[in-house]
Amino acid sequence: MRLEIFILILGMALVTFLPRFFPMAFLTRRTLSERVKQGLDYFPIAILSAIVFPMLFFNEGGAFEIQPQHLLSAIPVFIFAGKVKSLWGSVILGMVIYWGLGFIL
Amino acid sequence: MNDHPFKEGAKAALPIVFGYLPIGMAFGVLARKAGLTTFEAGFMSLLVYAGASQFIAIEMISKGVSWLPIVMATFFINLRHLLMSSTLSLYFKKSQTPVLGLLSAEMTDESFAVAMSNTPKIENRPRYLFGLQITSHLAWVAGSVGGALFGGLIDHKSYGIPFALPALFICLLLLQIRKVHHLLIVVIAGISSLFFKWALPGSWYILLTALIVSGTGIYISSKLKVE
Repeated sequence: MRLEIFILILGMALVTFLPRFFPMAFLTRRTLSERVKQGLDYFPIAILSAIVFPMLFFNEGGAFEIQPQHLLSAIPVFIFAGKVKSLWGSVILGMVIYWGLGFIL
Repeated sequence: MNDHPFKEGAKAALPIVFGYLPIGMAFGVLARKAGLTTFEAGFMSLLVYAGASQFIAIEMISKGVSWLPIVMATFFINLRHLLMSSTLSLYFKKSQTPVLGLLSAEMTDESFAVAMSNTPKIENRPRYLFGLQITSHLAWVAGSVGGALFGGLIDHKSYGIPFALPALFICLLLLQIRKVHHLLIVVIAGISSLFFKWALPGSWYILLTALIVSGTGIYISSKLKVE
């Protein structure tokens, strides 16, 4: 492996590990106030919303774009997942619809 | 008797495996195109294990950018894990620091989201979370190496593959909606994340959204208790 690539990978690994590690290492040993715990309770829903919506409305290059294939696939998955709460079902349904739409759009 | 927690976690990872394999392959293909060897591509997936930043690193490598700006970009993209790590800290009060280190090194958006869809499973069960995470990681490395070795055996743009992870995340988001006021939270988070994604670089849109939403959430919870 070339030295520059080796340094690059170690550097990336380090800066990726630190934010993954520090909160867990320090907060685990502390007693958090009720208010902070309440705030943390909202993190999963906030993070997931902040992953899902930009995924639908921003293209791979990171620019805002109305992507009909994404949006039209997302709507049935939202409805299905809301009713059936099945991870596999949602994934398969989403893929099939997205694939199918590829032939039409 | 129930499954061993590790095995149980590994099973919970299967939808992630399904999403990671083709995307890992896409990474392997692009890494080779950018001039990385198969070993380098696999080594990056093994050590860094962060999809979005790996793709951006490859993009920057192919443009001839040196290592330092790539590492800095990686840092800002992966700052969002501060939030996930904070959340997970609530569930492993009994674990030693080396165990926490291992669990946090293996943390990704997808494994975090699956873990949070069923929190009683992870509470003081590091083996379960580790099973979930390491299975996902293996799929990521296997996909990367496979893609680098064999090229696009399957085209990662076909068969609806681009929508596998979005669909997984949509379902995981809906699993988090347990109360009526959560719908309001999702709307606020949606608007906030779209705005900040448009306005700011890196993963600030996730960090700021989490702060805004948890502030709003604390406010709503206090109102609901009073009434």
